[in-house]
Amino acid sequence: MRAGVNSAGRIVSIAALGIAAGALASLAAIGFVELVAVLNEWLLITPRSRFMMEDKRLLLIATVCVPAAGGLVVGLIHNSIPERRSHGPPDIIQSVQEMDGRIPVRTGFLSAVASVVSLGAGASVGQYGPLAHVGATLGSLVARVNRDSRWMATVGVGCGVAAAISTAFNAPIAGIVFAHEVILRHYSLRAFAPITVAATMGHVMANVVFERPPLFRLDAISVNFAPEFLGFILIGAVGAFVAVFYMRAILFANRIARTIPCANALKPMLAGAGLGLAAIWLPDILGIGKETLRFAVIDHAFAPGELAFLLVAKILATALCIGFGFAGGVFSPALLIGILFGALAGNGAELILGDLRSDIGIYAICGMVAVTSAVIGAPLTTILIVFELTRNYDLATAAMVSVVFSNLVSYRAFGRSLFDVQLHMRGFDLTAGREKVMLDRRLIENYITRDHTELAPDASLDAAMSRLLEARSHEGYVVDADGVYLGTVKLDDLMTTKERNETGTGVTVACLAKPEALILTAGTTVWAAMAQMGDFVGESIPVLDDDGHGRMLGVVYEASIVKAYLDTMNDIRREENAGA
Amino acid sequence: MELKLQDLIRTVVRSVGLGIVSLGIAGMIDHATAESPGRTITVATWGGPYQHSQEKAYFEPFTQETGIHVKTDLYGGGIAELRKHMAGRAPTWDLVDMTMADNRAACKLGLLERIDHAILLPAPDGTPADQDFVDGALTECAVSPIIFAMVTAYNRDAFPGNRPTQIGDIFDLRQFPGKRALQRLPEANLEWALRSYGVPREDVYQLLSTERGLRLAFERLDAIRDHVHWWTSVDEPLELLTSGEVVMASLYNGRAFDAAVIHGHPVEIIWDAQIYELGAWGIPKGTPNLDEVLGFIRFATGTHPLADQAKYIPYGPARRSSMKLVSTHAQTGVDMRPHLPTSPANFETAIPKDTEWYASLYDRIKARFDSWLAPP
Repeated sequence: MRAGVNSAGRIVSIAALGIAAGALASLAAIGFVELVAVLNEWLLITPRSRFMMEDKRLLLIATVCVPAAGGLVVGLIHNSIPERRSHGPPDIIQSVQEMDGRIPVRTGFLSAVASVVSLGAGASVGQYGPLAHVGATLGSLVARVNRDSRWMATVGVGCGVAAAISTAFNAPIAGIVFAHEVILRHYSLRAFAPITVAATMGHVMANVVFERPPLFRLDAISVNFAPEFLGFILIGAVGAFVAVFYMRAILFANRIARTIPCANALKPMLAGAGLGLAAIWLPDILGIGKETLRFAVIDHAFAPGELAFLLVAKILATALCIGFGFAGGVFSPALLIGILFGALAGNGAELILGDLRSDIGIYAICGMVAVTSAVIGAPLTTILIVFELTRNYDLATAAMVSVVFSNLVSYRAFGRSLFDVQLHMRGFDLTAGREKVMLDRRLIENYITRDHTELAPDASLDAAMSRLLEARSHEGYVVDADGVYLGTVKLDDLMTTKERNETGTGVTVACLAKPEALILTAGTTVWAAMAQMGDFVGESIPVLDDDGHGRMLGVVYEASIVKAYLDTMNDIRREENAGA
Repeated sequence: MELKLQDLIRTVVRSVGLGIVSLGIAGMIDHATAESPGRTITVATWGGPYQHSQEKAYFEPFTQETGIHVKTDLYGGGIAELRKHMAGRAPTWDLVDMTMADNRAACKLGLLERIDHAILLPAPDGTPADQDFVDGALTECAVSPIIFAMVTAYNRDAFPGNRPTQIGDIFDLRQFPGKRALQRLPEANLEWALRSYGVPREDVYQLLSTERGLRLAFERLDAIRDHVHWWTSVDEPLELLTSGEVVMASLYNGRAFDAAVIHGHPVEIIWDAQIYELGAWGIPKGTPNLDEVLGFIRFATGTHPLADQAKYIPYGPARRSSMKLVSTHAQTGVDMRPHLPTSPANFETAIPKDTEWYASLYDRIKARFDSWLAPP
């Protein structure tokens, strides 16, 4: 009876988490997108508003001043965030991989505002990263209802992200997969159930309640000529290099920005002004560039030269904006860069295949997914986005080929994704798996015991032996008056020395003390300790403080480290295999 | 300051006038029109079955109720025509039945009186007018009575086998050869041309706002330019279509209905990518019969007259309360709902005409269109 009530309660709480996090995240996503659209129209970013503006001088001034002013506002908002930057997908990944799952609400809110301002003012940044973060913040907030449950926090984040992506792309399955593939990085039924509920919630909101048009619409197109699949492989491989160039450009711009002697808050403004100046001449680089996205799938809307030029311009504009601290994602610009690249490849294919070539839309989409999947490190998600948006099997199959080859190449040439590389640069390395991440967060200082025998340097061998025998301990640690560790003496050594030297006078423990082969400091991570422990034989490892004075804080037993490792592995296993 | 005073005077005059009209004591205190037996307002409208529907639904009932006669004059759309009339020696139009795009543009140019929407009648259930009218129906200088659509239609006899079903077919000379009749204006033609590339309807105007989008649209039109008969008067396309001179035509959906259902012509509407728009009553600035005209608007945009109009012509009433009352065609008993542009099946792929876009860009787009049209 009680078991029945318990499992009913569990099912209800899983469903409630999904519904609440999903509904909130989805509403926020819709509001976010609408707000950006309205700002773009008011602030003369959209082609329509620019075209309708009669006063050309005002348009010119707005083109430069709007992104610059937006940059200033973003810079000022960033001053109120502890890290001086907006949070995005990497921060969600870090929080979830650490099994923490708490996204600070204030930072989440400020990041969202900064992103709306960036996008609204026409910065060349993406909207899906911020949307995912908004979703994560709300999901984490909902999960706080139950503070004791750790799984709730991470799953709540996953729910929010899935709902936001599901709403934004109108693609619920892609939302579910994105949350697992990019954020959680494992599949458990306990996480899968609420995340699916949340993604469906997002889909219902986007489709039924608000009837939002899909991001993409393509008429029925199919692959005409089987050898074209070779071309899609090539698009994948070359697309990976486009993606790597794009990601490196962002990181490079960020390094440049750091060397510029100017207040951090003013850097986005500089980027905004630069972008605006370029946009006077090439307005296509402003904002998300939805119109360019549409044109790219129309045959001969661009000349090949224009495609190449715009491709490079968009990469530079995005690197400038993100590198110099505008708030926003990398996904939407990657879509645009990728689709331009794909259209270019389609033009190339036409030269070779002539009339046999399939619709340029297929090439454009293949290029789009090749670049984006490499940037966000999510092959499955991108394939599903294409499938759900177009409901076109042929297209999804072609896209699939490009995606996998792109990921293979970019993994070798760059890394799993821009997010993972950014996290690595912040000292958070996911390449060796979650256990490393978790063990890297656990420090030796938490496992120190004072349960050891300390000996003064001038103690006689007799005195030392009796102390050790009394403590039933094998090792004694020689520590001077200031607490500085000088070395370890072993009971066997004391005894042999004493046997050889009957008199034993004048010999102090200091003469026998030898520094232990393995000495740890308080700040050593459990992961690093594990790696060093390999050859260590002994009871316990001395732990010194971190400031370099060599003061001894205590010892840590080998068994404690192994237990810490096993506990962590168990936590991970439990989370990843959790049932409903 | 001057403006405020003017507004004040106008409001006072207007309310007094309205009071007089609604009291129904017309004619008794009339000094200005001593020559004629009753007062008269002149409404410029479009002629044809559309005008007939207006006569039946509200011109005649209005005269019956108030004694004010409604004289009509023919108006073919556009601001140029309105401007010309107003600049003429003796402007007589008191009210013009315009498209919302023209109304917006004319309003911007100061050609029209502003309309206080507080004069409008509530729905029979008491819903205030501003909530009963569909979105966008009430603007600064306009009250919209109906929703109408520019559609494409074809002559069934011309295509006994494969029939056109989507807007792209207009540009497909291979599958659907023959002449097309299109309006000699950029409107609808540009939208359809771009839509035929697969551009989603919600993005049409964003893309037409770029040089690239315009170029693509004109390229599409280029492909059929030698097969187009450009029409200028609204009756023309139907004549061309029924006479077999053209095989496809763009035309207002009401006229296509009239030809097919009432007169039995083999005319079939392609319900894809209709460009729908709101009609708009606009009052030329400086009309001497402002009060009578406002009284007319109040009467003619009521729930029942608008629902009645759909008995004569398949235009969607702009009031939600009227939409519920739409019934059968007065003459043939045909159910009118499936013939309205707002009927769900027809509305699915409809493109709402971006009247704001046209209002601020009309001259530029028109000049571009004309220079494209003129032989190089």
